[in-house]
Amino acid sequence: MPRDANVNDIAISDALAEATARRRSVALRAGGVFAGMHRSVLDADEIDLRARRAVLEYEPRDLTIAVECGATVAQIEQLLRERRQFLPLDAPDAVRASVGGVLATAWNGPRRHRYGRPRDLLIGSAFALANGTLARAGGMVVKNVAGYDLSRLFVGSMGTLAVLLRANFKALPLPECTRMFLASLPAGTRARAFAQVRNLRPEPAAAWWIGGFAHEIDGDPGDDGRIAILMECDGALLERATLDWRAALGRAGIPETRLLDAGAHAAFSRLLDAPMQLPGAHAVTYRSPSLPSNALALADAVAGVIDRFELQCDLLVDIMNGDVTVRAGGNAAGFAQMIGMLDDALHDLAPRARILAGGGDAHDRLDCFGLLPNALSRMRALKQRFDPHGILNPGVAFFDGGHT
Amino acid sequence: MLIERLTEALGADAVKTSPEDLACYSFDAYSQGVLPSAVVLPTSAAQVSAVVKIARDLGEPLIARGSGTGLCGGATPLRAGIVLSFARMNQLLELDIENRRARVAPGLVNLQLSERIASTGYFYAPDPASQRASTIGGNIGTNAGGPHCLAYGTTVNHVLALEMIDDRGECFTTAVDDLGYDLTALLVGSEGTLGIVTSAWVRLLRLPPATGVWLAAFPSIESASEAVSAIVGAGIVPTALEMMDATIVRAVESAYAAGYPEDAAAVLLVESSGEPEEVASADAAIARIARAHGATKWQAATSAEQRDALWRGRKGAAGAVGRIAPNYYTQDVCVPRTRLPEMLAAVDDAARRHEIVVGNVFHAGDGNLHPLLLYDKRDARQVAAVIETGNIVLARAVELGGTISGEHGVGIEKRNGMSLVYRTEDLAAMACVRDVFDPQALLNPEKIFPSGISCREMRT
Repeated sequence: MPRDANVNDIAISDALAEATARRRSVALRAGGVFAGMHRSVLDADEIDLRARRAVLEYEPRDLTIAVECGATVAQIEQLLRERRQFLPLDAPDAVRASVGGVLATAWNGPRRHRYGRPRDLLIGSAFALANGTLARAGGMVVKNVAGYDLSRLFVGSMGTLAVLLRANFKALPLPECTRMFLASLPAGTRARAFAQVRNLRPEPAAAWWIGGFAHEIDGDPGDDGRIAILMECDGALLERATLDWRAALGRAGIPETRLLDAGAHAAFSRLLDAPMQLPGAHAVTYRSPSLPSNALALADAVAGVIDRFELQCDLLVDIMNGDVTVRAGGNAAGFAQMIGMLDDALHDLAPRARILAGGGDAHDRLDCFGLLPNALSRMRALKQRFDPHGILNPGVAFFDGGHT
Repeated sequence: MLIERLTEALGADAVKTSPEDLACYSFDAYSQGVLPSAVVLPTSAAQVSAVVKIARDLGEPLIARGSGTGLCGGATPLRAGIVLSFARMNQLLELDIENRRARVAPGLVNLQLSERIASTGYFYAPDPASQRASTIGGNIGTNAGGPHCLAYGTTVNHVLALEMIDDRGECFTTAVDDLGYDLTALLVGSEGTLGIVTSAWVRLLRLPPATGVWLAAFPSIESASEAVSAIVGAGIVPTALEMMDATIVRAVESAYAAGYPEDAAAVLLVESSGEPEEVASADAAIARIARAHGATKWQAATSAEQRDALWRGRKGAAGAVGRIAPNYYTQDVCVPRTRLPEMLAAVDDAARRHEIVVGNVFHAGDGNLHPLLLYDKRDARQVAAVIETGNIVLARAVELGGTISGEHGVGIEKRNGMSLVYRTEDLAAMACVRDVFDPQALLNPEKIFPSGISCREMRT
């Protein structure tokens, strides 16, 4: 049964202590945006964290903010924007996505090469351990090397190591100007475009090559796909940088670039949201990290595999960071069997591909995580030490030995 | 037995046992420890692994050491053991400019990396004041910062992957893109207590096309502190925002003639990098704020030579105080930026009460203070006064919502200070991590944790 949504720290502590004593499993629930990125928790009492969304501290002059982990990304964005600050968590579905979800799944957005990953902005936390102990790490200062960085250890833990209650972040000044550049690529220009974008000055805040996603992402499909590049900069720089970027794209053989100013933020949000959106039950989206220099080749190879299965393929390549996101979908009656073979074939090419979203419980049926980390045994030892009875989100990942 | 086995594994040339050699490795920039049993100079991860296995067999502690520039005693042996020096593992192993990264051996000196890749248009951002001597492995151990981490972040933000040797001598790797717990972030800053780094992929940044450096003089340290808060509060994050008080300014001018105004009560050294338009905007905006807070001078470095001179003064400040007193003790605390005026007042008050001279030179933009407490170690009263003042500074930083170390680490020096910041439960959680990685406490023992803290509070 769901517990009271207004649970405070003490209530969560009590619930965990009781669960540990009774050897009852606990499932943590927040916005559900990232639910496709891990396996389901079965047979567990639920702790619903969605009501824990208070802003606990915000000192704009310090550029620091502390929030409860059920706070949504959109809620924080709005608050910070009022003071011309921001926190580049780059979460999809920001209205529902919780800060806890971003951290638990180690969600990494496209602006991380410029502003850092969410974990780079995390400066402290408070958490409840499986036995109910309330503890904290870090603080509200932007530099802190006093002891182990437990806050960041919990990033990517999928709720299996502790219940994250509070997250402290350093915020950043909001760039004065945001402009989205959209361009269709004529045939044969993609590789050159990719190289030019990597070397643009000022550096893009984010940049993608897009193949497909016609309904979800702005821009007209070109012969060689399309690109979207986000500029975030000082107002004094905007027009000169625009000329420079257009000239650089021109050298790549791209004759026209469409600019979005007022609509840039919305277009950026659609790019973040697209990978999590499924056209129907017969679709699954994977993301694989890759070196930027290998990303296009990986995307092409993945597209070739999906083509072999005669499925619809949508691709999104993060030009600055190298992530390759691919969505495979179709209406075939045999999709359920086919997707299993596709899953194997994709992981042959991209062993580290993980599922972001999938219809029909793809995250439970397929290889949700791809290649497991080299340091898996240490992660499992940490899990065993912090949650010896395995009550926290059992089965969601590979820490308790349930999935290999 | 120990020496024979080490010699067999590494060769005689890589094992140092003479009293003179051992003495050189019995201390770091903080303190004197005890003589280690042996010093080894491995040349590969395999040799590091062999040393760990020998140490484990014989129950010898292991202390990994870069250049020994740490200010908290992190590389000081406390009960003999084996010091692992990375002086011979100092290579730039791979350079991958296309993907903006480099793989380095732990003994590579920080500044050498940026110098060696300068022609490519890239640099390595973490720049602790010790960067001419300190190694990247040591920087990883302490999660070192530096003036430019205001804009670029500390070492943890620049480590992409680690190759480590664990307490059993087994090799493992972590990477920021790994699934699961963020072990990379955990290991960075763990002061050699969770494993030994044998190589690291680090992130490289593009050199900015324009850089401006300015110096602002203020009539009081309070007005300079208020200006810092106002600059950051206005949404301006320069690349570096450093403060020096009158004591430091006079020492620096005496030593380097860097061009600092000796009549100022405080100066801010400000750097902004980026596109020329961004640098010009920062110049105008920061100058306006500085003047609004009483700055009596706003001076731009108009040449690379002037810029280098201003930075040389800042980076050489600690050395320059040797002209004022025979010894100094560097404290390292971090507070929320808005609490800087209170923190500086507390430092000043404590120094006055204990009749010692203090010089402040610090990373103001981060709220990271480094009061230099000046003294003569031959005078027992001054030594006691410095210790007491340092303790007051730590306690006040915590009262103001800060921490006991912003970038130097805990080591031996601040073990007991950990209890000022964290409760027993918090420390027990850290102790459990230690227990998982190194249950026999062979790796750099007796560092970080105050006595009496263990994992048992967490057992269920």
